[in-house]
Amino acid sequence: MKKIISIWSKLLIIPIVLLLTSTLFNACQQQPKHKVLIVTGQSTFNWEASSEALKQILENSGLFRVNVHISPKQGEDMSGFNPNFSNYDLVVLNYNGDPWPEQTGISFVDYIKAGGGIVVFQSANSAFPDWKEYHEIIGLGGWKNRDEMPGNYLYWEEDEFVTDTSQGYGKLFSKAETYQVVNRDTAHPVTRGLPERWMHADDIIINRLKGPAQNLKVLSTAFSDSLKDGTGRHEPILFTVEFGEGRIFHTAMGYTVSDEEKSALECVGFITTFQRGAEWAATGSVTQSVPVDFPNAVSTHHWENFLPLSLDELMAKISRYKIGMSRKYISDLSNRIRKSDGSPETLLEFEKKMLDFLNSEATIDSKNFICKELSWMGSGKSIPTLEKLAKEEATAEMAAFALERLKVE
Amino acid sequence: MFKSKDKTNRRKFIKTTVTTALGITVFPHIIPASALGKNGQVPPSDRIVMGAIGVGSMGTGNMIGFLNKKETQFVAVCDVDEKRNNKAKQLIDQTYKNSDCRKYHDFREFLENEKLDAVSIALPDHWHAIISVAVAKKGMDIYGEKPLARSIKEGRAIVDAVEQNNIIWQTGSWQRSVPNFHHACELIRNGRLGKITYVEVGLPDGGKSIGTPPVMPVPEGLDWNFWLGPAPTRSYRGVCHWDWRWIMDYSGGQLTDWAGHHVDIAHWGLGLDRSGPVEVEGKGIYPREGIYDVAVEYDIHYMYENGMKMRVANRSRLPQGMGATWYGEKGWINVDRGGLTADDPKILDEKIGEGDIKLYESKDHHQNFLDCVKSRKETITPAEIAHRSISVALIGEIAMLTGKKLQWDPVKEQFIGNEIANRLLFRPYRKPWELDY
Repeated sequence: MKKIISIWSKLLIIPIVLLLTSTLFNACQQQPKHKVLIVTGQSTFNWEASSEALKQILENSGLFRVNVHISPKQGEDMSGFNPNFSNYDLVVLNYNGDPWPEQTGISFVDYIKAGGGIVVFQSANSAFPDWKEYHEIIGLGGWKNRDEMPGNYLYWEEDEFVTDTSQGYGKLFSKAETYQVVNRDTAHPVTRGLPERWMHADDIIINRLKGPAQNLKVLSTAFSDSLKDGTGRHEPILFTVEFGEGRIFHTAMGYTVSDEEKSALECVGFITTFQRGAEWAATGSVTQSVPVDFPNAVSTHHWENFLPLSLDELMAKISRYKIGMSRKYISDLSNRIRKSDGSPETLLEFEKKMLDFLNSEATIDSKNFICKELSWMGSGKSIPTLEKLAKEEATAEMAAFALERLKVE
Repeated sequence: MFKSKDKTNRRKFIKTTVTTALGITVFPHIIPASALGKNGQVPPSDRIVMGAIGVGSMGTGNMIGFLNKKETQFVAVCDVDEKRNNKAKQLIDQTYKNSDCRKYHDFREFLENEKLDAVSIALPDHWHAIISVAVAKKGMDIYGEKPLARSIKEGRAIVDAVEQNNIIWQTGSWQRSVPNFHHACELIRNGRLGKITYVEVGLPDGGKSIGTPPVMPVPEGLDWNFWLGPAPTRSYRGVCHWDWRWIMDYSGGQLTDWAGHHVDIAHWGLGLDRSGPVEVEGKGIYPREGIYDVAVEYDIHYMYENGMKMRVANRSRLPQGMGATWYGEKGWINVDRGGLTADDPKILDEKIGEGDIKLYESKDHHQNFLDCVKSRKETITPAEIAHRSISVALIGEIAMLTGKKLQWDPVKEQFIGNEIANRLLFRPYRKPWELDY
């Protein structure tokens, strides 16, 4: 019996200890510090899909614990709707529907005045047309098909922000498309370190936003093309508002059609700015680093399931690559290598995966691509595999290419 | 390889008589009126006998420039695109009112058969080194397009071949033969801005995107495999003439396309055109999709041995936009094709007088080449200078590709302590192509 226990201890306890250690390690690494409440339940767009996505996006950062508070359906009794805002560090508004009970509104405003953080998510800027303080909190908003809006338009034209007091309705949508975001404030904690211009995919541009815009700072704009139902000017797309002691991060991005069609939310630019904006609203600073595959000025980038691919997952995607297909995965690998620390240890880790790849099932084009990458960042360890590939007709050319570079010292 | 040559002898008219591959001696059918040397024409014995390898847009443009000169006689063209070859031959034959121009598909045959004074070369960058070295080894003078080469090692090979074979080389960096640029460089060289501490070079904003077109039939007359030459095997997707410059296997994009102009001018003003930076760091924006893969935006910072800094970037990133801008103790001067601007503008009115440094003067870039072919003096943009101009862009490209700050030794032409970056100093060739360097 004693012996059996000892065998069990070897077989079981070690894995359990390992599991515990790794869990503890993870917990210490990224204990979710900030409590978040997503308020949703009624919206012009698909609030179920977007709220689920926003929850995942926030939790994936490792910084937030997220609860979702769902309101009664439109037209139902709202009198019991009273989220306990003050229990949270951050409230994410994904709601535009029936008015809240008066007391709920008061506790919401008190929460912000006392220093609570708010993220205004996209169509939440259409909510509560008759609530003056809400206008001040969201800074800019709008309602389609209404004649008048409080406040002024705010947009970027000819290298400066324009406050336009002309009369008129607020807010229209342009068609969903891929567009370039321009960060106008590159020193703000949310946008610091991001590329100044970056591509955002498959989203609508909300234009003609209008409002009191007090204590408002525009972080980013996007050009609303008049040929695509837009205004022909740069519209604010990310901005912050200060209200009382509270910080508000307002993102006009995030068009969500359904669970299947939510690529605007999978854009690495959306995810990153949302995570950073949330952290800033909750704490006043941003500790998260910028992902290496953040979109650049010409190319979009998506994370399926709102998370970057692991290197193994990425290599699996690359193994199906043929010239003529999307280059996104091979570009992603090149980019990860380029943006790594470049130390011999890091490069050896990449090289090991790449050599395993060359020795496994993969398309010829993907193997040739890997040979070309190894030609500059590989080491002597690559030579035997490359020599083998140099003897195979389909890979001979690029293997020889790599060998020539690796052997010239 | 060193050899002595008698240029005067080689330039005799009889040289247009050649032995073809078939061993038949061919003479011109008629002797043009100009061949008699009347009416201010240059007598044949003094004419520079020329051929052209690569007769696309730049090649044809240069050829026309030379055809317009009285002292040249064009006798042969070579291109892997038969349509272009035919057009170029037609142009020459029309000029001389005969049908004598010889036409080659393979430059090796061209070099085997033609005994010329000079060759005009205008090719995609990935072909520059192999053909330039081969022509130099035949002892023919070269007017070659910028950028000198696709990689540092290829550029150095061209310079060596030019020097070892004592040929005259002119690079198509024609801005040096334009008064604006000459004047700006003389002002800088003579200290009109005081000490120069910083230079900006603005080059065009990069590129369009066409996605990845499908594989399609190679157009009739184009030898696609030969066009690819030393570059990796690829299926034809309709991207060839002109647009090769957006693909890294053939070019470095706007950065390498234009460094041979504005970096060249920046260097000239500084007197650093036979040297180079000692440190480089840069960021490029690379498209993640499509067949075009060169950096569409670039922003590269350099330091020179004297502590001076240089920034080379696409124009939108720079306050003065396109051109070379030198910043000195007394303000700045920008020069571009549109002219000169400065702060203070009065600097531009300053004259270069007695006792000031006078830079090499050429008022006509093609003529300067022809003059040097005759005089055997160095041209205004010799190979070494062209190599140093494009080296700035090429090491910048490597800094962007590796994502690292790099130390450069401009004497050894190696990165210091970075084996990985050094591997990118050359792009290996597809068989059977080799560069003898």
